[in-house]
Amino acid sequence: MSTDDESFHPLGDEWEGELETMLDDTEYDSQLGMDMARDAMRVTKGELSEADFHEKYHEDVMEEFGEDERPTKEAYEAAQEEAKGTFSRMVDKFDGDGEETRRETMKKMGVGATAVGLGAFGTVSDGPEHSVAEGPRQETTEESDTQWGMTIDLERCDGCLSCMTACSEENDLDQGVNWMYVMAWEDDNHHGQEGSEYDVYTDFNMGSDFNMLVRPCQHCTDAPCEKVCPTTARHTRDKDGLVLTDYDVCIGCRYCQVACPYGVNYFQWDEPDTAYEDIDGLEDPDNPDQITHAEYDHGERWVDSRAPRGTMSKCTMCPSMQDGKQGEGKVGTTACESACPPNAIQFGNVKDEKSDPSQHREHPVKSRAIVHLTNGTESSKSAPSADDIDSALSEGDDLLTAIDNIEGLTVDILAVMKSIEMISEGLEPGDDENNSILRNEQEILSAVEAFQQYVDLNTEEAYTELGLGDGSEQQARFRLEQYTGDPSSFQLLEDIGTNPNITYLGQQPGPEAHQVDGPTAYEDVDLLDERQEDLDEGTVGRIDGVSL
Amino acid sequence: MSTKEPTEADILRPINTLTKKYFILYGAATLGLVAFLVAWAYQLQQGLIVTGLGDWGSGGGSTWGLYIGAFIWWVGVAHGGIILSAAVRLLNMDRYMPVARLAEMTTIGGLSAAGFYILVHMGRPDRMVTSVIGHYHITVNNSPLVWDVTVITAYFVLSATYLGLTLRYDVNRLRDDLPDKFEPVYKILTIGYSKKEDKVIDRMVWWLAAAVIIMAPLLLHGGVIPWLFALLPAMPGWTGAIQGPMFLSIALMSAISGIMIISYAFRRAYDWDHIITDDIFRGLLLWLGFFTLLFLWFQLQTIINGVFLGPTNKAVAIEAKIGHPVYQVAMTMIFGTLVYIFLQGIRPALFSKKRALLASCIILAGTLTEKILFVVEGFLHPTFDIYANTPGTYFPSLIEWLSLVGTTALVALLFLNLSKLVPVVELHAVEHLRGDHAHDDDATEPEVEA
Repeated sequence: MSTDDESFHPLGDEWEGELETMLDDTEYDSQLGMDMARDAMRVTKGELSEADFHEKYHEDVMEEFGEDERPTKEAYEAAQEEAKGTFSRMVDKFDGDGEETRRETMKKMGVGATAVGLGAFGTVSDGPEHSVAEGPRQETTEESDTQWGMTIDLERCDGCLSCMTACSEENDLDQGVNWMYVMAWEDDNHHGQEGSEYDVYTDFNMGSDFNMLVRPCQHCTDAPCEKVCPTTARHTRDKDGLVLTDYDVCIGCRYCQVACPYGVNYFQWDEPDTAYEDIDGLEDPDNPDQITHAEYDHGERWVDSRAPRGTMSKCTMCPSMQDGKQGEGKVGTTACESACPPNAIQFGNVKDEKSDPSQHREHPVKSRAIVHLTNGTESSKSAPSADDIDSALSEGDDLLTAIDNIEGLTVDILAVMKSIEMISEGLEPGDDENNSILRNEQEILSAVEAFQQYVDLNTEEAYTELGLGDGSEQQARFRLEQYTGDPSSFQLLEDIGTNPNITYLGQQPGPEAHQVDGPTAYEDVDLLDERQEDLDEGTVGRIDGVSL
Repeated sequence: MSTKEPTEADILRPINTLTKKYFILYGAATLGLVAFLVAWAYQLQQGLIVTGLGDWGSGGGSTWGLYIGAFIWWVGVAHGGIILSAAVRLLNMDRYMPVARLAEMTTIGGLSAAGFYILVHMGRPDRMVTSVIGHYHITVNNSPLVWDVTVITAYFVLSATYLGLTLRYDVNRLRDDLPDKFEPVYKILTIGYSKKEDKVIDRMVWWLAAAVIIMAPLLLHGGVIPWLFALLPAMPGWTGAIQGPMFLSIALMSAISGIMIISYAFRRAYDWDHIITDDIFRGLLLWLGFFTLLFLWFQLQTIINGVFLGPTNKAVAIEAKIGHPVYQVAMTMIFGTLVYIFLQGIRPALFSKKRALLASCIILAGTLTEKILFVVEGFLHPTFDIYANTPGTYFPSLIEWLSLVGTTALVALLFLNLSKLVPVVELHAVEHLRGDHAHDDDATEPEVEA
């Protein structure tokens, strides 16, 4: 880094020159690009306001590109609230239509302004694991359209521990290595069974009296474990934001485990119980490499399944599934999600509004109702299909007769289905991965449509019968809330600044919350809760009951 | 001060004598080191499961323990040593010149022990070179652990240079009285030596000393080492700005104590009453008292900040800390020593070298205990302490305890070997004690009567 040359760029003259050459290769005005880049740096230093920056180049940008999609002052203020770097936001803006390739977009926007000014430290580096500060909080520079994550409905969780056992089997984990950990908890404001008078019974939570917490790795966008790693073994996979450990690089210093605020790491203190050749997950591959090695821009890395001795492990969110190595059907799913009987875990791309975690997070009331009515195995209630309705109904049935004629249908269920239809925005599922909530919503919508072929539900009489008041959207929402509850959402330890990619629906444990015995005991499903019991057996010269 | 005149023969005595006691000590130290090496080999074979460590969180263990606690303690001893030696040169504290080289050697020993602990602590030490150095250009921007390794390496080089440069003067002057079997070593040490360089080396050493003192709060025990813990936001037992000063005070306490013990041993073994005088012990003891006072003051700050309307997580962590019997014992030991140091300051008759030795041992034991407990406390009371198995349990295994014997033996061996090779007291110090201004131009270190 030079201080005495004339360059405005932190990486100095040479770097700047290189970029200028790149700009010259485009059809657009290099001088404008460099000028904008220079001022962009001034903006980062606070010497120039965003508004002034916008104004200064507005005419030139319009002339050169025919459009000026840079953030306005208002847009910037909103961005500040998100505490996101100025420039990544500008890139986003230019990236707007999502159709152009990254390269084209860069060309079009006068390249320099963003590429030179901002990405400098991050984007030039090789290595897929790169992550260096660009803004005050958001520290990962590579922006991908995919960020795997979860929305977990804690009121839907009944503590059966199926996810924990599924994770353990999928990854061939040792006893006590609970990558996925489910616990019941209590604090002064939230009692469990004994204090059930405080709890609101909803059909949705199946009357469970426990406050649950489901704790996989949070796959933080600003993961402290990655930041402190002295080797880059702990890294974020650029293409999908998974935080993983390269078992070939890890030196076993355990600083990641020290820095993680959530306690999700499990070290491999001795030889794992499952030999490498015997790693088979749930799939039984020809060669364990198929499920233990995940895909990167440059080759493969050993990041999946149980760790070898002397290295750190934690929940991976099943990269072998996300990479399609376990079949297309498993892309966008995890072992724990698939195993969860009441569908409390919604895994998917949290950046895609159509994904299950996004839908569940943004529309919890509606999504809960959909999950409940279409989750055949666990729900006491389920929505009939359009076909069922067509075969059961005939012209001229009145509402109550029609309900009676369809097996399993009740006024309540129909009211919920109708409410879903009334508040639905009609967003259709995408093809990328399993958008099960939106797909099931579509099924409910067609069922309601089928029903309405026979009975008109948009009458005052029908509204009254279904408890939908005046038939307004607000009434529909209220009806759904009665059915599923209206959960608040939270992320764990939001004030620590990790930007986790797990969002929870339900009760947030307070600072004094403590774990209590849950509905299912760990040992009943062959899980070990306190791993130390196991590790103590290997301790040389252990004195029972003595501890610091 | 003794009336005996210090001579070159005095400082050459360790090199030219070989006693039964030396052999016994050497044998014991070798045994201690080998015992730990065997234990370490077993750990390498079995994995870190042989320790008492475990996973914090649902696992109910402690991720780091004695190895890291002892690591930062040794680094503290080392950093304190070099700071002490640098202060002697920079601030013309000529009174302590006879122990300056012992302090430098303590630094080399302490850093060796600390470096060894890094290896012992790792799950895959075989990857140290490929994984750490291979990604250094990326990780040095982020990981406090990499900062640590960088700084420890830098200070090892700096201390070794410092020691090496000052040795040239002595080895050249005393060459005729040094054993011929080490001839190649002396040749390398004094390669290209000419008397003209003395002045230059004096200046270089002065600047090195200045660098050490200036960087102490940032790069030594006042900065990078405490940042390993203090920067982590979710472990209230560690977080906070006080850790910098706290660590620095511990480093200086430990180093002064260590140097007093080593000085005591050399004085006793080689009749150096007139070189490492009572006066030096009195002075070191007062400095020890001063840094102990600072340490206790920082502890008080930490405690008050936690227990008086502290935020929940901090309050829990600090209440657990002050309620911990091991903490209470360590603080009582340290406070008791402080009281003694003050009393002997008021009433000099209370001073004796044996008591100074005892005070040093107590302080070293106290700081080591505090360090190990400090490391473990972080895992016992994290912000996210919802887990039923947190606080977990941890007690060092035999192998971990043995590592203390092994590293202490390692440092003892270093002194035993070095003392047969080069003078552990500077020739300058002897010349100075004699009031002998043999070396003419001492521009950077004007002589001051002690």
